[in-house]
Amino acid sequence: MFKKYSRSRYSIGIISILFFILTIAIFNLQIIAGEKYSRIAEKNYVRLKTITPIRGEIYDNKYRPIAVNEPAINLYVELGKIIDKDRLILFISENFEITAEKIEALIHKNRFRLYQDLLLVQNIPYDQLVRVAEHMNHFPSLTLKTENIRQYLYNNHFTGYVGRINDKEHEKLQDQGYSINSMIGKTGLEKYYESQLKGKNGLEILQVDASGRSLELFKESVVKNPVNGSTLILAIDNELQAYINRIFPENRNGAIVFQDLKTGGILAYVSRPDFDPTLFAQGISATDWDKLINDPNKAMLDRVIQGTYPPASTYKLLIAALGLTDNLIDKKTKLTYCDGGMNIGNRYFKCWIKKGHGKLSVVDAIKYSCDVFFYDLSTRISLERMGEFTRQNLLLDKTGIDLIGERKGFFPDLKWYKDNYGKYVGIIGPKVNLSIGQGEILTTPLQICCFFGALGNDGVWTRPHLLAKTIKDKETIEFQPTTMRLPIAEDILALMQESLYKAVNESYGTGTASKLNNVTVYGKTGSAENHMGKITHAWFAGYTVRDEPDLAFTIFLENAGHGGSVAAPLAGKIIKYYNKIR
Amino acid sequence: MPRSLRDIDWTMLALLLFLLVAGVFTIYSASTTKIGNDYITEDFYLRQLIWIGIGLILVYLTLRISYSFFEFFILPGYLVSILLLVLVLFLPEIKGSHRWIALGPFNLQPSELAKITTMLLLSKIISKPNTGDWELLFKSFFVTIIPVVLIMLEPDLGTSLTFWVILFSLLAISDLPIYFLILILSPILSVVTSFFSIFLFIFFLIILIYILYRTRLSLIIIGLGAFFNIIIFFITPLIWNALRGYQQNRILSFIDPTRDPFGAGYQIIQSRIAIGSGGFTGKGFLLGTQKNLNFLPEHHTDFIFSVIGEELGFLGCVVLLLLLFFFLYRIACNLEKLKRKETKLITAGVLAFLTFQIFVNIAINLGIMPTTGIPLPFISYGGSSLLINMFAVGLVLKFVNEQSIFK
Repeated sequence: MFKKYSRSRYSIGIISILFFILTIAIFNLQIIAGEKYSRIAEKNYVRLKTITPIRGEIYDNKYRPIAVNEPAINLYVELGKIIDKDRLILFISENFEITAEKIEALIHKNRFRLYQDLLLVQNIPYDQLVRVAEHMNHFPSLTLKTENIRQYLYNNHFTGYVGRINDKEHEKLQDQGYSINSMIGKTGLEKYYESQLKGKNGLEILQVDASGRSLELFKESVVKNPVNGSTLILAIDNELQAYINRIFPENRNGAIVFQDLKTGGILAYVSRPDFDPTLFAQGISATDWDKLINDPNKAMLDRVIQGTYPPASTYKLLIAALGLTDNLIDKKTKLTYCDGGMNIGNRYFKCWIKKGHGKLSVVDAIKYSCDVFFYDLSTRISLERMGEFTRQNLLLDKTGIDLIGERKGFFPDLKWYKDNYGKYVGIIGPKVNLSIGQGEILTTPLQICCFFGALGNDGVWTRPHLLAKTIKDKETIEFQPTTMRLPIAEDILALMQESLYKAVNESYGTGTASKLNNVTVYGKTGSAENHMGKITHAWFAGYTVRDEPDLAFTIFLENAGHGGSVAAPLAGKIIKYYNKIR
Repeated sequence: MPRSLRDIDWTMLALLLFLLVAGVFTIYSASTTKIGNDYITEDFYLRQLIWIGIGLILVYLTLRISYSFFEFFILPGYLVSILLLVLVLFLPEIKGSHRWIALGPFNLQPSELAKITTMLLLSKIISKPNTGDWELLFKSFFVTIIPVVLIMLEPDLGTSLTFWVILFSLLAISDLPIYFLILILSPILSVVTSFFSIFLFIFFLIILIYILYRTRLSLIIIGLGAFFNIIIFFITPLIWNALRGYQQNRILSFIDPTRDPFGAGYQIIQSRIAIGSGGFTGKGFLLGTQKNLNFLPEHHTDFIFSVIGEELGFLGCVVLLLLLFFFLYRIACNLEKLKRKETKLITAGVLAFLTFQIFVNIAINLGIMPTTGIPLPFISYGGSSLLINMFAVGLVLKFVNEQSIFK
């Protein structure tokens, strides 16, 4: 069968018909309806407007404000309406706190977004506004808008702050409703809960003619209402937070954190020195920025989750639990006689008290914080096992608190020693040191707090969290905490609890300065040697019991002295105060 | 093997160059903005010039290299395109869909490559002698459905429709009996009529049976065809109603994006305003005001016609339409002249997809068709589609040239 493919002759006909249809449609649009569309185009009647949702606010557990929205007046420019660019730049740079170079750069960066308002200056003070208001008429491209700006009610490290979106964030998030003018959570809770706090943009298509009538170009609804951001209710107690800030020793750096053991929620979260997040949210000045960045005390460092320190004697609980778990000792085992130190290998390791403690069992060794007991115990434990047990008790990994930038702890292994001290390094000495929480081991105050909370809570470790509940459209969603059971048997936990009780509540215990009448405090002091100064970091970590386990806490003060004399009294005061206000 | 280029269709080549130059000017205007008295232009027009340069080299090579060389690569080329279409689905999204593979500064669009390789493979299958009608139908359908499904997943409805247009045009050109074509098209009409009324369907069914009867098809085939269509008619509403509301909405928005006034709907209205406000003579080159409204970034690509409409007006549009029409007319004339089956099929395929893309793109810009994301051939910015389209044109030029030599 010969195929001649003769149907191709229809193609010209089909193409002609299609082009005829197009010509008719173009004629219709440009000649018949041309005038109507010219008018719409000229006046720019049809515009897409984004309705920014109200950012969710942040409150404490008694619904007292922490981060709120305040009205502010912002200056915007629409590039497509600029008549004389140089005159405009001069006017703005002379009257507002923004340099000509900055404006030029902003315009250049957004040169292909002509018909979009571009945020120029945020939070313009009222008196400044009054001064320039009358000149604004000469610049039709400028508009003032009343919008919300973020305000944080007190200095802290956990709320974080919002800031203007940067290029990288915008590129990544522009499909998720972020514009070049958007404010976005940069750190802390503001960043962690950004998606909840932000809400969803609304949209509106403006389609009106000169007399204000709708052009009715669209069939469907042209308004999409915004969904406002959720309100965050934190576990934080503002009153407790304020009290801690009040009694925090002047000019000291450190961290204090309190965790509610029933929920795992963080009641108080103080890192000093601190800074005002509002500065960042409302446009920080160059001098303030320099001051914060170059601050020798590192005010921007969140010492609760980003400061890592040797845990000192608070770590003895872990070593004791490890000795008992691996049956290296039992509760009656008494180790080497402490005469103010002991010999291991060819080195003499000193106890913290010169006159010595004598022969002690594990409970008393913790109560008196005898170093020699742990030196001796450490000789029976391998470095690997020590590191493994520390990790299993969640002292090394991030706790997973709902914040950005948490740091891990550190425990050295053999490879680390070889890499840093050479192939033939002896690890017995370093291991002896590690057993009392000194040397290379590093933990954050929050990890220590959670570990002591778990000791008090019968081995149940609760992941710390600041958020207690979110409120979205009057619907409240409770935060669901996650818990883990630490690998410490119940009888061993009982011994740990007994020794922590004795350390605070019996005479000659190291933490007696925190003892209270109507609530039982359990705690362990620590004094960490460090390279930052001659004076030790002071630790006091523990928990309280009121009928049942109640609070866990860490008091940590950089280079402040001994835990027992500096940190423990603070703990007592704070717990007493909290029981008064709760 | 050196070949004479004496008998090249210079008219067609000249029209192509005209279109490309017009494209560069339009891209220049589309990516130019005005702030105060300053004009700022993005460098898309320069990049397009580079693509055109590469494209012209490609056309030259196509003319020079023996077709047997291309023939060898048809199947591997098809398989590679399928592989790339699978790969692109697993790569991160670019501009909200999985259409592009990022290669340094350029984005490769595998669906464009698949378009030409599928067409070449289809031509080979259909032109193969002694293939039964059913076998031919089955094979060509199989070859088409694979890239179509993969492209639908990206999702890119417009480009996947191009494949059906190519398949149908090739089948239509081949001497496949007409009732096959009618049988292929009939289920689509059954689905459409099922959304309107049963009377319309019965009317359609009677016509279908009448036509099939007139082609002297066996009564069994007619009966099967009718039965199949009846089943489709009744099953479509059942499936539709079984879907949840949001699923129905998703399908409707897929077919008609104007249902979303905040997305495509807004674009179409803006495009209509831009073109309409151009009037008879337009606002003048570079002087368009609507092109910089926020319905970018498709200005230099899918919505480039709106820039021409706004700045050059009805006159400009008509000139462009004439250019495009004569270009297609030229291909159609060449199609008539060609004698070899395979070259004729390929030329028909090229003509079909160019016509389809030109018509659909302009129709979308005018707001008389739903948006699907199809560029305007030779005018829109975009390396992948430009190179593939120029290669396709190169093939047609080659066939015409060689036919004259061997005459």
